[in-house]
Amino acid sequence: MTESFLSIRDLRKTFGSFVAVHDVTIDIPKGEFLTFLGPSGSGKSTTLYAIAGFQHPTSGDVLLEGRSLLSVPSHKRNIGMVFQRYTLFQHLTVAENVAFPLRVRRRPEAEVKRKVAEMLSLVRLESFGGRYPGALSGGQQQRVALARALAYDPPILLMDEPLSALDKKLREEIQAEIRRIHRETGVTILYVTHDQDEALHLSDRIALFRDGRIEQIGTGEDLYLRPGSEFVASFIGNSNFLPAEHLETVNGSATIRLADGSVVSGVRIDQNFSHGQKTRLMVRPEAFRLRPGPATAGLAVEFIDTAFFGERRRVIARTAAGQEIDVRPTSDMAEAQEGIASSRQQIFFDPAAAFLFPA
Amino acid sequence: MSGNLLHRPSIFRRPDGIGGALPALILIILFFVVPVVALLLRSVTEPVPGLQNYATLFGDGTYARVFFNTFLVATVVTAVTVIVAFPVAWMLAIMPPTLGSIVFGIIILSMWTNLLTRTYAWMVLLQRTGVINRTLMDIGLISQPLPLINNLTGVTIGMVYIMLPFMILPLVGTLRAIDPMTLRAAALCGASPLEAFRRILLPLSLPGIAAGGLMVFVMSLGYFVTPTLLGGTSNMMLAAMIAQMIQSLLNWGLGSAAAFILLVVTMALYALQLRLVGAKRMTGGI
Repeated sequence: MTESFLSIRDLRKTFGSFVAVHDVTIDIPKGEFLTFLGPSGSGKSTTLYAIAGFQHPTSGDVLLEGRSLLSVPSHKRNIGMVFQRYTLFQHLTVAENVAFPLRVRRRPEAEVKRKVAEMLSLVRLESFGGRYPGALSGGQQQRVALARALAYDPPILLMDEPLSALDKKLREEIQAEIRRIHRETGVTILYVTHDQDEALHLSDRIALFRDGRIEQIGTGEDLYLRPGSEFVASFIGNSNFLPAEHLETVNGSATIRLADGSVVSGVRIDQNFSHGQKTRLMVRPEAFRLRPGPATAGLAVEFIDTAFFGERRRVIARTAAGQEIDVRPTSDMAEAQEGIASSRQQIFFDPAAAFLFPA
Repeated sequence: MSGNLLHRPSIFRRPDGIGGALPALILIILFFVVPVVALLLRSVTEPVPGLQNYATLFGDGTYARVFFNTFLVATVVTAVTVIVAFPVAWMLAIMPPTLGSIVFGIIILSMWTNLLTRTYAWMVLLQRTGVINRTLMDIGLISQPLPLINNLTGVTIGMVYIMLPFMILPLVGTLRAIDPMTLRAAALCGASPLEAFRRILLPLSLPGIAAGGLMVFVMSLGYFVTPTLLGGTSNMMLAAMIAQMIQSLLNWGLGSAAAFILLVVTMALYALQLRLVGAKRMTGGI
């Protein structure tokens, strides 16, 4: 195996009897944008803090280009970090904040000046150098924090939920900035968030954390289209889980019986189920169609509420077994007129785009 | 709703204009302004009208020494108090709240203990045959007792002890407002703990140091009990001198002039601090 740029080896952190991080191993190539996604308390921030040097792991190692970082104190790790809260130095101007890491490194004044100008232009705050952080909006403060964290060209940039204190519109704006900065600087970014949209939007790869372990790691597409567990399927994107009984599997293609008695075949699975085993069938809301296609399975439902959302239509439907499901077909005109006509009808989905998980 | 507000008894309404503030104003004038004016008048009328009291105070070397000594003690006490209070305040600021409030309680408790008792306790500890000298001699660290009392050392120790809460309280407030994450950010930026302290923590805590420092300095300038009991006769402070002038010499004019000088100096210091801290606020800093 080729040596990875940043390597987290069997990292474990316990607080008393509580295991916050459970032997996590990740290899991160240079220049990657990797997001730690997960609910709060899943160990993602603890892992990040171990890399930053704020928390000493109970066991395991963190290696940067093959060298262990564990015995290196935070201030010598040369890592950039943007925090959840605004951590700008309130008594220093924006320019002095960005210059701070260069000043403590005793860089020549001309270089400090040049670098500060370069960084402020990178985050598009050229004219704000003389202001104090208190006079800036939250979004501007986080951009200054980003400039400060990148000023000394760190090989790794850690970001701990940097946008969680901002409103939605600002969040999207700064997400675009972060993507651009990642593209322009090529810095390796480790990003922590509990927001799946943010993770999907930003990352090359996502490591989904659950109870101190990595549940699944892969691209956003991997996690969305090929979820390895029910937890992944429910955490990334929206999903419906229909109770089902497994009947048989032939060549990785399963036949199941749904709660309303209908039998569906052609469900793709990658684990073994026994005959009669209780399972749950996951179907994404947008995988439902209002009209049948080739090889689609039908589901008898009653429409309870429909709403129009531009590109998609959102329908709350109730199955014959009484379960409410979320259906988001494309808002195709012909389909829609037909679809809304009656409230009791069939909706359709491709079994190959559905997943079967143990109940 | 608004009708309800209008019909509320007038006592609950915010007094507006000068009329509503009149009782408080009279109180302030009667008990604060009048005595100060009386003090000023005495200093320029007794024993005969004129500025001779001030001339005496500024002209006589003995009085000048007392003034110098007073400012020296106040400066040393303030400096030592800041140095001792800072780590305590920082510990209080980052402690878990429950433990913090216990330590806080201990500090407040010492403040509530009788001042005279605490000063006498220091006399017992600091004298030639006191606990500190005995212990140091017993363990062989010194062979002669250290001169810890009836000098500047004694006054400083006793006064720092008494002034500490007045420094710690405002400082804790300032330090609590500093997000510990800011220091982590400084560390990741490459600042060693010492550098983070010098460049980040210290400047950010300046308003607290200034507020506490001013309080301690001003209180020290006019302190009576502790310098009298722990200091020697050779380093008399202003308050003791005023007491002597009025009690023993019955020279109200000179005493009033000395007290008035003390007041002016105090007010000048307060104005200076207001300017420094206020100016920084205006520019968006702390």
